[in-house]
Amino acid sequence: MTTDDTPTGIGIGLRQPHYREVFERRPALGFVEVHSENFFQAGGASLHALERAREAYPVSLHGVGLSLGSADRLADEHLAKLQRLVERVEPALVSEHLCWGAVGGVHFNDLLPLPHTSETLALLADRIDHVQSTLKRRILVENLSAYVAFRDSPMSETAFLAELARRTGCGLLLDLNNLYVNAMNFGFDAHERLGDLDGATIGQIHLAGHAVVDDCLVDTHGAVVCDPVWALYADACRRFGPRPTLIEWDTDLPTLDVLLDQAAQAADIAGAAHG
Amino acid sequence: MADLLRLQSDFAAALRDRERSAQAAGWLAGDAAHVDGRLALYRANMVAAADKALSGAYPVVRQVVGGEFFHGLARAYQRGTPSTSGDLHEFGATFPAFLAGFEHVRDMPWLPDLARLEWAAHLAYGAADAPDWDAGSLAAVEPASQDAIRFQWTPGLAIVRSTWPIVRVWTIHQAGFDGEFGVDWSVPETALVARDGFTVTVTDCPAADASFIESSLAGAPLGEAVAGTLATHPHFDLGALLGRAFAARLVVGFTL
Repeated sequence: MTTDDTPTGIGIGLRQPHYREVFERRPALGFVEVHSENFFQAGGASLHALERAREAYPVSLHGVGLSLGSADRLADEHLAKLQRLVERVEPALVSEHLCWGAVGGVHFNDLLPLPHTSETLALLADRIDHVQSTLKRRILVENLSAYVAFRDSPMSETAFLAELARRTGCGLLLDLNNLYVNAMNFGFDAHERLGDLDGATIGQIHLAGHAVVDDCLVDTHGAVVCDPVWALYADACRRFGPRPTLIEWDTDLPTLDVLLDQAAQAADIAGAAHG
Repeated sequence: MADLLRLQSDFAAALRDRERSAQAAGWLAGDAAHVDGRLALYRANMVAAADKALSGAYPVVRQVVGGEFFHGLARAYQRGTPSTSGDLHEFGATFPAFLAGFEHVRDMPWLPDLARLEWAAHLAYGAADAPDWDAGSLAAVEPASQDAIRFQWTPGLAIVRSTWPIVRVWTIHQAGFDGEFGVDWSVPETALVARDGFTVTVTDCPAADASFIESSLAGAPLGEAVAGTLATHPHFDLGALLGRAFAARLVVGFTL
C-alpha cells in the first residue's frame, strides 16, 4: 500500500498563471505538483508562492533536470539544490525521471531515453541509492515517453522499473500518457505492460495529453487526456487500487477550470474502479 | 558504463549536429530516415528549451526583436553556448556578450546593454529575501569608526552602466506601462537593479551614486567609497543617497 506521507486523491500541476486563482478559490485538491527546478532560487516571488501553496495543499516536487541516468556523472550541485528545497518545503512526494539529459558537461534540458540493459540498471540503482540517502527519503521514478528505440534494450521499461524498485526501494511514478505514447510509437500493448508492475511500488500516477507529429506521438502535456489513456487509468485503478493522481499540463495552459474538470473526470474513474 | 557513455556521447553529438546523425543511428532501431525524423523532434525540444529559458530571462529583448527572431537568436546562442545545468534559470548568462557579437542585431547597438540589465533583473528576481534591518542601528557607531562601515546591500542589487537609455527602454516595455513611448536615444543611463519585497525595481541611477554603490558593493569601507566617489564627482551627496537607499530598503545591514 501507499507510504505514510503519500497524499491521496487527485492533484493538478500548479503553474504560475494559475497561482492567484488557486490561492483565491482554494479548489478541493488532493495535492499540487510543481517542477522542482522552478524553485531552486535562493528567494523571491516563486518560492513565496510555493510556500503559500504548501500551506494549503500537500506539495509534490517533480524534478526535470537531475538527469539520473547520465553515464559520466550525477550533478551533485543540482542534488544539493533539490535537497535544500526538500528541506524547505517538506513535500509529500519527490519524483524524478528514468532518463538522462547531460553528457560531457553539456545539458540538453530534456528527458532523453535510456536503453534498458543490466548496465543501465546497475547505474540507476547506484544513483537512486545516492539520491535517496542524500534526501533521506524515498523518491518516485517515472517512466518516460520516447521517440527512438534502442537496438540493444532487452528489458521492457516497466520490467526495468519494477526491478529498480525492488533493488533500491524507490517508488514508481506511473505516467499513463507516457506509457500510451510509447505503446503507439513502438507497437506494444500498454495494458499488458501494467502486468509487469507491483502495485505496492506505485506511489503516484500521471495523466496528461499529447500531440501527434507525423507518425509519432509527442508528449507535450498540452491537451486533454485522451480516451485510451482514460481507459488505461481505469485499468490501473482496478489493478493497483487508489493512487494519488496528477493532471499534468505544461504547454498551452488552459483555464484552471479545464484542469479541475480533468481532475473531476479522474476522480469519477477512480471512484468507479474502487466501488 | 563504457557502452552507455559512448551511446550518450554519440546521441549528444547527433543532437548538436544533424550531420552527425549517423553516429547515433548505430545505437537506434529503424532506418536512417526514421532515426533522422525522430532525432529532429529532440532537436526541436532542445531549441524550445533554450528559447523558453531565454524568454524568461530576457522578456524585453524578446519583445523588441519579436518572438520569431528571438527563437533564431536562441538557436544560434545555444549552438555556441549550450546549457551546462539542469536548472535552466542558469542558462543565458553570456547572452548579452553573444548579442554584442551577433551581426544581425548590429542596428540595435543598445541591445546588449538592455540584455545585461535584464540578466541583472533575472538574478535579482530569485535572489535571497532581504532580512529586516533598522537603519537606526547605525546611530550606535562611534564617529571615529564611521569610515570603516561596510554596508550590506539587498541581495541581487546591481549597477548596470550604459551609454544608451536602457532604463527608459526597459520601462516602456513593462506590462501596464501607460505613459509616453518616446525614447531620447542621446541620453546615457545607468540602471540600479534591485528587489523591493518580491518586485524587481529598475531605476535610473545618477553617476555619482552609481560610483559609490559599485565601490561599496565591491567591499570598500564607507570612507574609501566616499573619497573615491568625490574624486570624480565633487558634488556627490552621501546623505541624500543614503536617505533614498534606506527608504527603498536597499541597505540591509553593515559590518565594521
